[in-house]
Amino acid sequence: MPTESSDFNAIVKPHCDRLYRLAWRLTGTRAEAEDLFQELLLKAFLKFDALVDIDDPGPWLARVMYNLYIDNTRRFKRQRLMTVGEGQLPGDGLEGVPGGLDPAADQERLQDILALDRALQKLSDAHRITVLLHDTEGYKLEEIEGLTGVPLGTVKSRLHRARARLKEILLEDGTFLD
Amino acid sequence: MTDKHDEKLDSLLKDYPMPNADAAFYDQALARATQRGLKRRRRRGILGGVGAAVAAGLSAWVVFAFLMTAPTPIPGITVAIAEPQTVNLMFSSEQALDNATVTIILPEGIELDRFPGQREISWETSLVAGKNLLPLTILASADGEIEAQLKHNDRVRSFRLHIDAG
Repeated sequence: MPTESSDFNAIVKPHCDRLYRLAWRLTGTRAEAEDLFQELLLKAFLKFDALVDIDDPGPWLARVMYNLYIDNTRRFKRQRLMTVGEGQLPGDGLEGVPGGLDPAADQERLQDILALDRALQKLSDAHRITVLLHDTEGYKLEEIEGLTGVPLGTVKSRLHRARARLKEILLEDGTFLD
Repeated sequence: MTDKHDEKLDSLLKDYPMPNADAAFYDQALARATQRGLKRRRRRGILGGVGAAVAAGLSAWVVFAFLMTAPTPIPGITVAIAEPQTVNLMFSSEQALDNATVTIILPEGIELDRFPGQREISWETSLVAGKNLLPLTILASADGEIEAQLKHNDRVRSFRLHIDAG
C-alpha cells in the first residue's frame, strides 16, 4: 500500500538529478548545493498536498529551489555569515575535468577551465547564474524566465552581458589571445 | 572580440565541470526530508495544542515569547548524531581587525570536540580583510543552535546556526 513517503519519492526522484545540478550551479559548492537540495525536499514534502496536484512538478520544484536560494542569499548577506563544508570553497568541482590522451593538452584545458572559474566568480550572481544555466546546463531562455521570474528581455540582456564580460576577463588574463 | 572567442567560451562553458552527487545521496536526502517533515508536522500539532491551552489562561507570556522567537530564519545544517563533524563558519570582514574576540555559545546536546561539557568558549583572534574561515569540530547529540559572537572594540555581531542532529 503506497504511503505518503513513497508517493513523495515517486514524484520527486525523477527530478533529483536536474535539481541537484541546479543547486550546484546556483551555489557553486557541494556543501551549499546539498543543503539547498535538502531544504527544497523538506519544503516540497511540507507542501505535499499541493505537489500531488501539479502536472509537471519539475519546473515547480526548480522555482521553489530558486526562491529558497534567493531567500538564503539575502539572509546570508544580511548576516554576513555562511557555512561551507571543509574544502568546499568555490572551484572545488574542478577535479571533474575529463582527461584525454594528451596530458599537455589536458593541462592546458584545465588551466583554461580554472581561468573560466575565476572569471565566473567576478560576475554578479544574476549574470553568473544566467550564463551557467543557459550555456552549461542547456536551459532555454524561456525556462530561465519561468524559473527566475525575470522578464525574457532581461534574461537575454543578462546573458549577453555575462558572455561579453567573461570574454573581456579571459582576454585580459591571457586565456584568450587577440 | 571574435567568433573564435565565442566558440572557445562556448566550449569551456559546456565543459565547466560539476561533480555528481554520491550514489546514496538522493535516497538519504529524500528519507531525511520525509522524516523531518513528519517531525515538523507533529511539532506544529503540539504548538496548536499549546495555543489552545494559552487561550484557557495561565503562562500566556511564556508561550507568546516562544512563538515570537521560534520562526527566526537562521541558516542550518544537518550533522550525524555523536560523530565529530567540522562546520566551517565564514566571517566576512571589510577590513583587517586585530584583537577581535570570538565567543562560541553552545546549547545542551552540542559540544565542541576537545572541549567536552563547555557551554561557552572565547578566544582572541585577528581577522583579515575578506573571508575568514572558522572551522569548528562539533559533536551533536541533539538539535540546537550554536551562537557565534564576534566582538571588536565595542561592536558585537552575533550569528546563529541551527544544528539538526539527524
